[in-house]
Parts: sequence; structure tokens; C-alpha cells
Amino acid sequence: FKDDFSTCPHLFTPMSPYDAEFPVQAAGDGVFGSQFNQPKEPCTDFSSVDLSFLPDVTQDNKEQNLSEDGHETQKEHKESLPSTQDSGVSMDESSLSHPGAAQESPEASGACPSLTPMAPITPATSPSKSSGIVPQLQNIVSTVNLACKLDLKNIALHARNAEYNPKRFAAVIMRIREPRTTALIFSSGRMVCTGAKSEEQSRLAARKYARVVQKLGFPARFLDFKIQNMVGSCDVRFPIRLEGLVLTHQQFSSYEPELFPGLIYRMVKPRIVLLIFVSGKVVLTGAKDRSEIYEAFENIYPILKGFKKPS
Amino acid sequence: MAARGRCPECGSAALVEDAHYAQQQLVCAACGCVLAEGLLTTTYTEEEHLREVAYSQSTGQKEQLSRCLQRGIRRVQDLCKVLQLPAVFEETAVSYFQRALQLRAFHLVSLEKKELLGGCCVFVTCRQHNWPLTMGTICSLLYAKQDLFASVFLSLQKELGLSVPALSLADLVTTHLNSFRLFQPTANVPAPFLEDKEKLLARTMGIVELASETWLVTGRHPVPIVTAAAFLAWQSLQPGPRLSCPLARFCRLAGVDLPPPAHLRLKELLEILLGMASQLSWLRGFNLDKKTVVKHVGDLLQHRVFLLKNAFSQQDGEEQHDPAPGQGSPSPPPVAQQKGCPLAGRRPCRGTLRPLLPPCLIHPRKRPRPAAPSAPDPAPTGDEPISDSEIEQYLRSPEEIQAFRKAKAW
Repeated sequence: FKDDFSTCPHLFTPMSPYDAEFPVQAAGDGVFGSQFNQPKEPCTDFSSVDLSFLPDVTQDNKEQNLSEDGHETQKEHKESLPSTQDSGVSMDESSLSHPGAAQESPEASGACPSLTPMAPITPATSPSKSSGIVPQLQNIVSTVNLACKLDLKNIALHARNAEYNPKRFAAVIMRIREPRTTALIFSSGRMVCTGAKSEEQSRLAARKYARVVQKLGFPARFLDFKIQNMVGSCDVRFPIRLEGLVLTHQQFSSYEPELFPGLIYRMVKPRIVLLIFVSGKVVLTGAKDRSEIYEAFENIYPILKGFKKPS
Repeated sequence: MAARGRCPECGSAALVEDAHYAQQQLVCAACGCVLAEGLLTTTYTEEEHLREVAYSQSTGQKEQLSRCLQRGIRRVQDLCKVLQLPAVFEETAVSYFQRALQLRAFHLVSLEKKELLGGCCVFVTCRQHNWPLTMGTICSLLYAKQDLFASVFLSLQKELGLSVPALSLADLVTTHLNSFRLFQPTANVPAPFLEDKEKLLARTMGIVELASETWLVTGRHPVPIVTAAAFLAWQSLQPGPRLSCPLARFCRLAGVDLPPPAHLRLKELLEILLGMASQLSWLRGFNLDKKTVVKHVGDLLQHRVFLLKNAFSQQDGEEQHDPAPGQGSPSPPPVAQQKGCPLAGRRPCRGTLRPLLPPCLIHPRKRPRPAAPSAPDPAPTGDEPISDSEIEQYLRSPEEIQAFRKAKAW
């Protein structure tokens, strides 16, 4: 199965040095994630079926044991949230089961009857999002290893879109117009790509930078492309009493109007930092995966609605 | 044991060990100078030379604390004394400082940051005891840049896992007003400008509460709001002679700094008050403006709950656009001259009412962003082929390279 993952490097990056931090949910990570432990049930039917159109995680989701555990941990998780959340989350589950089921081949569903199907790639397609608001991705930061030593002076001389000021920063800053991104290229061969609005765009941009470096005469490769951070933003369309929010969620929030006009909410699960402003705009950052941003917003929306009424 | 050495006073070698009231003493027989007294604890070298050992040295007190830590603790104690904090605060702040300095995150930071760390510990202690100390005060005491202080504060909060309760605005008003010098007659304050502290405090509190209800406080610096509220309260208590005094002069007389946002807060407060005044029946006849509404602040504060409800449209639903009458509201639109009874309908019929929203929503600075254009290419995969021409546009032609080489002498 490992090979299949590498050929379909879609939105869900296979896991999970991140998920290892939360040993509690060994089997379930909310609605979307699940662990890639060794499959206990050998579903050998799949070898003949072309499942490349599915996101990677679907394969291991066919575990009966794991799916049961997933339900249980989800229930524990639900109990800790305010009650309004329950209906939202369960609605998500039931709604998501349909597209998942539709995509699976008949043999799959026959072999493992009780499944927790994977979420569709863009939850925007899911009709019953409890908030109706989808955060927009604003910035993706990714890294890639070009695996060759680079001569930065040479690159700065031969490339039009590069700037290099070794006294200020030890990397070449290169920009391309489409997708509009910026890259920091270091002499070790590592590169950071920022500014893309989606994971695919980030990957495409990183490949273009690698091609530029190749054309400049370096034996650049494209190894270990990884999304390091994703930033999203959205608007709940009502003003929020930040003073009230910091009182009720003191252990997660930090609101210092002398320092910053927004409230900094550090959500534990998923591990996302949210900046919440009085105007109702919310910025979500720290995600390695798009689903974390959506999940974090769905977690915060009912909390924010509680502070909607003006005094 | 045989006494060695010479007397420091006269240089004689005749040193005698004697006992004075059962306390061993080493005395010079020639001049009578006492070289050393009975020693409680000695080190080996001390015993050799029979010299006294200071208590702090013998118990190793000073050795346990590094010099940096000692200096920091002294700084924290000095800060507490300057701010006249209770003794309990000092102990807590010192303990926080000691804990923090041991952590890896703070052990190796610059000296400037270590000094700020002391200030942060004092600040956190004050906040935990609901002592209204602002960051501005601490920064001015430490001559620190506020962003540096902010970063040290946030990392301290994270590393020690401290919960810092929010700044209580009511306490801040009390403390801030204490520093106003308008309560005792002084040389530069004219008689009509003097004010009774309790009255000023009560009215300022009322105005600050009004500001927090009308979204003027959330997300903003607290001190300018308190300053503007104090100014309005002071003017309204004796409008006659005081209306002509501008905010800047008021702050100068009171001996208080005028923070730049205070003017804007004052403007916003006056706008709110004007809106409320339009609902007060006995004021409707007057054409109130920013100056004259100050005279009626007392009345406006007294009926503030009712006036707020009527003067500004409150949203119950999701929409924040101007409430069109009969838009799904079950009851008939209420009559315009409603005074005593609460609103019958969910939304008042007047579309000209300003909604009760934070100012950033009423005067948005940014243009509303056009809806994100749907991706022109269907489902970009990130693996599309990249054309050579596209890449070549980013490479310099040989002539350019020549020109650059000549210009920059790469």
C-alpha cells in the first residue's frame, strides 16, 4: 500500500508524525483522519481495482475494528464539545458517507461491510456543513529538497526573477508569476515556497522553481515535497465579544488588547491557532492539511455563535 | 593549636588563643587586636588561616544563585517597590522569575530580555491578583520597546503555563483616575476645573460601560478609552466653563499623557451619545451637536438601556444589512414613536438606524473582495507539464549577463 500512496500525493499527506502526538485517538481523528496502522484485515480484492482516484487514506479505512474505535473516540470527542456540536458532527458523518460510498467499488463495500468512508476532498461539496461557511486558503508554505549544492551568486546572475543579498539573508529570493509565489533557495539545495493558494499550486510552483534551477545548469531533483503550513481565513458575519470568549475559554485563549486587537485561540484538536477579531473575521493557521482548517473552523463556529448577541 | 601568622595591626607574631566568655578568640598579645573569633563553621583553608567566614559564604547562600539571577531578583524587588505593590506580589513575582530563568527558553537570552522578563513576572503577578497594571506602564518603567515586551510576555505565558486573567476595565478606570490631578487645588488648575473624585469616577465608569456595550472597547487599547471617557465625564459634570476646554488641554492640566487614539475614541463616544439623544423625548426638539450633547450625558447614561435598544438596530438574525420592514417579521412594523414599550417587532422599521456594530464593520477600510474566482482549470493536480518557454522567460539572455557582469563585477 505504501507505493500507492506515493503515486497519489493528493491533498491528504500520508501521515502522521503529527498524529503521533495524540495517542488518545489511536484510531480516529475526527471525521476526516484515521491511522495507517497495518491493516488487520487483508482486503486483497483491491489489487485488481484501480483506486487511484480515491484519496490515499481510504484504503486503510476499511477496517472494521478501526472504524469502531473511530466511532468511539469520536463520541468521546463530541461529549467534550458543547451540545450544539453533536448534531453538526453527526450530520457531517452521515452526509459524508454517501459520497464515500458512491466512490467505492462494489467489491470493497462487500468485503468490509461497516465502513467509515473518507471525507470527500473538498468539503465544499458536502451539502450539510453545519456552518455553511468554508474557510478560504490564503497561503501555503511548502519545502522541497533539490538535492544538489547550488551556487547562489550564479543563480542570481543568470536568473531574471532572483534577488540575492548575502549580507541580509543567505538565500536567493526568486519569484514567478504563475502561480504567484515566492521561493527561498538555499545553497544546500533546500527550497521554501510560499504564497500559493492551494496545495496543487504550491507543488506546481515548486516544480517550476526546480525547473528554473535545472535550466541554470544544476542537477536539481524534486525530493521530499512537503506542505509545512497552511493559512486560511473566513468571515462569520457577526461581531464577536472577545472579552466574553476569553473568560469562558481561558485555557485556550489569549486576548491582550494592548498587544493585538484579535484573540489568539490555540485549539488543541486539531492543533491550529485561530486569530479571532471583533469584526467576525477568523484567520486559521498552523495546519499541515486542509482538513484541519475546516475541522478547526467547524469546532470554533458554535463557540463563536454563543457570543453573537450584543449585550 | 599553634597560631600562625602575624597580627595585621602591629605585625607582632605573638598571637595567643584565648577564650572570652567561652568564645574562642585569637588575640595579639602585643596590641590586643582580635584577629578571629570562635568559628561556627570553617572550611579547611579557613581553619588553616583561622579567619572568619561570613555567614552567607559559609552557608553557600550566594553561591546557589548566579549573579544574573541575583541581579534579576533585585530588579523585580525594585519594581515592586516603585509600584507600591503588596509584599505578597513581590514573593510571587520573584518565584516566577526564578522558575522562568531556569528554563531553556530564557536561560540564554540577551540581558535586555532578562530585564524584561523581570518586568513580565511583575506584570503577570499583578494581573493574576486583578491589580490593574497596564503594559504601557511597565514598558515605560523598564524603558522597553513594547513589541519586545510583548514577545517576552507571550513566551513567558506559554513556558510557565500561566493563566493571565483579562484586564478589568473597572479597576483600570479607578487606577487611572487616581493619577489625574484635578481633585486638589493647584496653581495651574482654575477653580471651575476642579472636580470631586467620586462623582468623576462614577460618571466615567458609566461612560466606559456604555462604550463597552457599543463595541468601542473590544480589540482596542484600554487607556485611550478611559482618558476620553474621563474627559467627557468631567465636561458633563460642569458643562458651562468646561465645554470650551479641548482634550489636549484637559490632559495637560490633569498631568496625564494624551494617547493619540483618545481623539478618535472621543469622536466615537460622541456619535453614540448623539444617536441615543435622538431617542430621548425631551431632547428631540433640540438640534444637538457634539458640543451640546455633553450637557445631557447624565440623562443619557441614566436611561442607557432603553435608549440603546431604540437608537440602534440590534441584529437577531444573520443579516447585518439595513432592516427592511416586514422582512419575515411576524408582527406589524412598530410605530415610529415608540417610547415606553419594548420593541414589538424584531427590527425597527427605520432603515436609517445605525446598526450596533464595531466601528471597523461600520466603516470598513478594505473594499469588499470580489468572490474568489472559480479555478479556470478544472482541478489542478500540481503535476501539469511545464513548458520550456515559460521557464525561459525567467532566465537572462547572454547580453544581459554580460551587461550585469560589467556593472556589478560578479
